[in-house]
Amino acid sequence: MAVFFTPEWAEEVREAVDRGPGEELRAAKLPAYWAWIDGARASYSSSWALGVRDLAGGGPVYLRLGWKDGACAEAAIVGPDDPLDATYVLVADFATWRDLLAGEDPGRIVMYRRLRLQEGDVLRFFRGIYFFIESVAAIGRVAARLP
Amino acid sequence: MPEMSREKVAAVEGSALGQIHDIDIDDVLDYVHKDLKRLPGYIELYQRYLRQRWDVYEIDFAQDARDWTDRMTQDEREAFTAISSGFHHGERQVEVELPVFMLGGSEESRIYMSSQIEDEARHTVFFDRFYREVVGLPGDSVQDVLDASFQHVSETFVGPFGLLAYQADELRADPEDLAARVRYGTTYFLWIEGVLALSVMKITLSYCRNAGLLPGYYTGFTATCRDEARHVQFGMRFLREAVQEDPRLLREIHETLRTILVINGATSRRLALEALGWTQDEVRRLMIRQLTMKLVDVGIDLPPDVQQMISNIEPELAGG
Ligand SMILES: [Fe+2]
Ligand SMILES: [Fe+2]
Repeated sequence: MAVFFTPEWAEEVREAVDRGPGEELRAAKLPAYWAWIDGARASYSSSWALGVRDLAGGGPVYLRLGWKDGACAEAAIVGPDDPLDATYVLVADFATWRDLLAGEDPGRIVMYRRLRLQEGDVLRFFRGIYFFIESVAAIGRVAARLP
Repeated sequence: MPEMSREKVAAVEGSALGQIHDIDIDDVLDYVHKDLKRLPGYIELYQRYLRQRWDVYEIDFAQDARDWTDRMTQDEREAFTAISSGFHHGERQVEVELPVFMLGGSEESRIYMSSQIEDEARHTVFFDRFYREVVGLPGDSVQDVLDASFQHVSETFVGPFGLLAYQADELRADPEDLAARVRYGTTYFLWIEGVLALSVMKITLSYCRNAGLLPGYYTGFTATCRDEARHVQFGMRFLREAVQEDPRLLREIHETLRTILVINGATSRRLALEALGWTQDEVRRLMIRQLTMKLVDVGIDLPPDVQQMISNIEPELAGG
C-alpha cells in the first residue's frame, strides 16, 4: 500500500480519478448526474492543488492534479518550499483527509468548509462542482498508509 | 398578479403564532411579492421583525407525531423527509454563513441583519424539533440530529449551499467588497431564499393544508415563510441598490446566475413529488415563476443565454 502523500500514492490517485467510479457506484445515483459530470469533464483543462495543512508537523504539502482535455494527465506532490502553480488551491487539515480516506462524504466536507478554496475563482470552480466532488470521493477510495 | 386585499395583508402581517394556522400559504407567497416594487427600507423590515418574531418552543407537535405514524403513507413520509432534510441542513447553512455578510454595509443594513441571523437560527431549531419529535430521529445535540437526517439530503445540495459557504469565505477576506457581496447576495437571497425556499414552502405547505395533516409543521413553516418575505425583500433591495450605485455590478448577478443554473442541471436522486401531489413540470414552472417575478419586479434584466438557462430549470428542493 502506497504511503499517503508520496509520488507512488499520487500516481495511484491519478489513475483512480481518471478512471472514475465503477458501475456499482454509478448505479447509486441517477444517470443524469453522471451525464452532468461527463459534460463538465469533457474539455476540462484546469488543475487542482489539494493541500494538507499539517502533515507530520510540516507546512502545507499539496497533491497537484493536472487535467488536460478531460483526462487527468499529471499528478505530483508539491512540498511547502516548492513553487505551486494551480488553477484552484484547496486546503484541509490532516484530520479531514483521514476522515475522507475513512469514507466521509466529500460533499459534507465542502458544506462544512473543512476543505477551503484558498486560490481560484469561486464561480468558475463551482461550474464543475460535482465533477470535483466525485473526484475527491475517488481519492478517498485509494488505500493509503497514513503517517 | 392581482392586488392582495387589505384584509389579507393585515392577516398575514399581524397574525400571532396561534392564528397562523388559518393563513393560506398562497397569501404568504403573494405577500412576499406585493412589496417588491416598493421594497421597504431596512429599518422598516427590522420593525416588522420585532412584531412578527415567534417562539419556536410554542409549537405543539403532538398531533403531527400522530399524523406521521397513523395517517401518512410510507411514500408520503419518504417524500416529505427527503424535501425537509434539504431544508433542515439549508437552515443551518444559511444561519452560519450569514454573520460575515453583516460585517459590511450600512448601519441600517447591519441592524436588520442581526434579525435575519436570529430568524435563521430559529428556523434551524424548528427543524431540529420536527425531526426529533415527529420523525423520531435520535440525538443529544443539534449536530447529532443533522447527522441523522443527512442520509436523506441529495448529493446536489452541495452545489448551491457549498457555493454559499465558499462565497462566505471569499467575503470574509473583505466584507466591504461590493462585488463579492452582490455575488453572495444573488446566491443567498435570490436563489436559495427567493427560488428554492419559497418553492419548497409552497409544495410542503399546500400538501399539509390539502390533506389536513401536520398542524404544528404548518404553523411553524408558515411563520417561517413570513420571515422569508422579509429576507427576500431585504435581499432584493440590496441587489437593486447595489446595481443603482454601480451598474457594472449587474454582470456579477449574471455570472452568479450562470453558475447557479449550470449547477442546477445536475439531479442525483429522483424526487417522489407525486406523493405530495406535484409533478416535475409543475415544480419547474413554480421555480421559474419564483425567479422571474423577482427579477422583473426588481428590474434586473437578463441576457438571452441566462433566459434560456432559466427555461431549462430542473426541480431542486432545499432551502434556508
Ligand atoms: Fe431566510
Ligand atoms: Fe430560514
